Amino acid sequence: MDVHFCPQCSQILTISRHGDYFAFLGIPRKLNLDAADLEQRFRALSRQFHPDYFYNATPIERRASLERSSYLNDAYRTLKNPVARVEYLLGLEGFSARGAEEATEGAAKVPAKLLEEVFALNEELDEVRDLRTSGAAPEVWRAKLERARAPIEAKQTAHEAELTELSARWDALGTDVGADGCERSAILSALRDCVLERNYINNLLEGIERELAQ
Amino acid sequence: MTKVVGIDLGTTNSLVAYVKDGVPVVIRDRGGDALLPSVVSVAEDQTVYVGREAERRLLTDPGRTVYSVKRFMGKGVHDVGDEARLFPFRLAGDPGGIVKIGLGSREFTAPEISAFILRELKHRAESFFAEQGEVDADVDRAVITVPAYFNDAQRTATRDAGRIAGLDVLRIINEPTAASLAYGLDKRHAGLIAVYDFGGGTFDISILRVEDGVFQVLSTNGDTHLGGDDIDLLLMKQVLADQDVRLKPDTTYEGRASEVVSGFSRTGGEIQAIRQAVIQAKLDLSDADETEIRVGSYRKRITRAEFDALIRPIVDRTLEPCRQALADAELEASQIDEVVLVGGSTRIPLVRRLVGELFGRTPHSELNPDEVVALGAAVQADILMTGNREMLLLDVTPLSLGIETMGGVMSKIILRNSTIPATGSEMFTTFVDNQTAVDIHVLQGERELVADNRSLARFKLRGIPGMPAGMPRVQVQFQIDANGILSVTARELRTDVEQTIEVKPSYGLTDDEHAEADFDARLLIEARNEAETVIRATEKSLRSPEFPGIAKSELGAGERERIDAALAGLKTVLNGPDREAIKTGTHALNESTQHLAEVMMNRSVHAALSGKSIDQL
Repeated sequence: MDVHFCPQCSQILTISRHGDYFAFLGIPRKLNLDAADLEQRFRALSRQFHPDYFYNATPIERRASLERSSYLNDAYRTLKNPVARVEYLLGLEGFSARGAEEATEGAAKVPAKLLEEVFALNEELDEVRDLRTSGAAPEVWRAKLERARAPIEAKQTAHEAELTELSARWDALGTDVGADGCERSAILSALRDCVLERNYINNLLEGIERELAQ
Repeated sequence: MTKVVGIDLGTTNSLVAYVKDGVPVVIRDRGGDALLPSVVSVAEDQTVYVGREAERRLLTDPGRTVYSVKRFMGKGVHDVGDEARLFPFRLAGDPGGIVKIGLGSREFTAPEISAFILRELKHRAESFFAEQGEVDADVDRAVITVPAYFNDAQRTATRDAGRIAGLDVLRIINEPTAASLAYGLDKRHAGLIAVYDFGGGTFDISILRVEDGVFQVLSTNGDTHLGGDDIDLLLMKQVLADQDVRLKPDTTYEGRASEVVSGFSRTGGEIQAIRQAVIQAKLDLSDADETEIRVGSYRKRITRAEFDALIRPIVDRTLEPCRQALADAELEASQIDEVVLVGGSTRIPLVRRLVGELFGRTPHSELNPDEVVALGAAVQADILMTGNREMLLLDVTPLSLGIETMGGVMSKIILRNSTIPATGSEMFTTFVDNQTAVDIHVLQGERELVADNRSLARFKLRGIPGMPAGMPRVQVQFQIDANGILSVTARELRTDVEQTIEVKPSYGLTDDEHAEADFDARLLIEARNEAETVIRATEKSLRSPEFPGIAKSELGAGERERIDAALAGLKTVLNGPDREAIKTGTHALNESTQHLAEVMMNRSVHAALSGKSIDQL
């Protein structure tokens, strides 16, 4: 748990650059959070830091209050959202999904099979567009889209399940880093792949939805 | 000690309140009136009238009298639509600049006019405190409310108005949130609350969770240009059209635009007389089933049913923001525990009925909808001054904030409905070699394209040392304070070059939602970006020192010509609107250079394996 106020003089402290959202809120680095507990901690800390209560304080305290409140709000917003929470945890543990995607030779790779599916679907979407512009009956290309959607939706469901399972495995690990080092990085790396693939799957589904809405 | 007050600076009326022994009270004038009409008149001898007296002058000196000035706060000249025709005062200002209001020979900004109203409220409060026998009756600090959906420019303009009036603006808070604070005082139970605030010129909806004395806004939405004024305009246009049918229309008149509506010419005073008559009829219809619009000898009966049918489209426009706010809060209408009505326009029976239907429950209106915002502002002022921790307001930013990135696309840094204060940052880099400055364009809004969002500020981060493109790491950091006002810092991390700006209004467009059109435009930009990348890569290969050698020994007959043709072809369609043509052209260029790329790739692989540089081959 972070120290927010000076133990001696109880003055609000400027924020340190080394903390993280979990420590700031005083909760363990787990993926299944008790939502009510998070809300309750957020409100309690808001009552301690909010700039409203430092209006007449010194400039340093006012600045510290603004910084702590902003950080608290950012932390709350990130941890409240399950996907943002996983992505944040991966970043903390050095398994950033975003970084891997950008790096030319990242450890994380989107499976070739998924990429193939992306290409295949994009071709299919092109065909649907052609059909539409050439004046084909809506039932024809709609049926095509519906057929393409079913397997991707199944994949999405499977992914949600995998994410839940991996999260549970992560949470079951002890805080002892040394003992489960191997398993730790195995889970994290699987989580990262899961998050990456999830983005692809969501984009695919969005593409289909957009065509269907035409 | 000097006094602090809460001020509701409204489109139609303004109020001031303070907290006495823990209870907020509205301060009335000597005649017992709580509402100060937000009307300012500057007479020919430069005497300034505010309130009731100014309102009377709308009939006698309309060209020197301004009302609904809130509609122009933080607005640019381009933002003012055709409603300007019905205002008796002159709207001026330089193209691309802020709106000015011309009264006689003088021009005022909207914050300057608002400052007259604030100063009047300050004086009202000071004489009230003096009469109460306070030793120090001076009022120099205030909390001022704004519509929740006000953007950064409108908030800044409101803060400026306070400063011009000689007030230290402790805090800018949102009207619906202020109202919830006033409501939450006596009933301390927890729950989900929807505040529907339909005033003279603006509409807001806020969804809040109240628990442990914390008033947490979950989402907010609205329209800063939708209110009772629009209903009045609708009725006015009906009366004007009706009169034109009855009287002979004068089609030859070529006077000032503001004096000509439909085909018939009227003076500003006549238009104001019609405005006051239709407002009276509107008020009558809140209780009566039928009334009469009376202007001079003109009479017209109007029933509640006719009125409802006429205004239905306006009221309907408030419902979509309500649905959006619920969706953003991830709630169903049925989960809302209480609906609170704020603002004079919620006295209209049709409004009450439709809001009731949307949320499936009868809305609350125990507190006076005109006074509840000022009361809440007073409570907030008291919290700030005393540090009283019984209650806490946690508000959100109504609109997303971000910056312009390549191709005219907005990259969002802080999303709408983020609890404030909030921060956000994003890393950017340079696009060409040895670029020493980066333009930062700060935007607010929900649309994909820069041009469709509000431009808040532009600045340049200079002094970046020359580095290859893509090397510098420019971090842009946003900070929204508890007033909802933004400051931006840009820093190049490798060298620590830094620049901070206070965001000053620059003026852009309105912020409606047009996701579909945005998406197409975005795809076009992406296609162009891709095409440009391929063009650059091709040209770079053609220029490279090894190209002549490759052309001689490895390229087939006509290959160079095919590349040149594809290159020229893509360049002709590049800046056109046809995305498919750009994609086809990009594809063709890629095809034509495929062999060349393979040859060059083989050479560099070979060079790397043999430990020689390409030049040595």
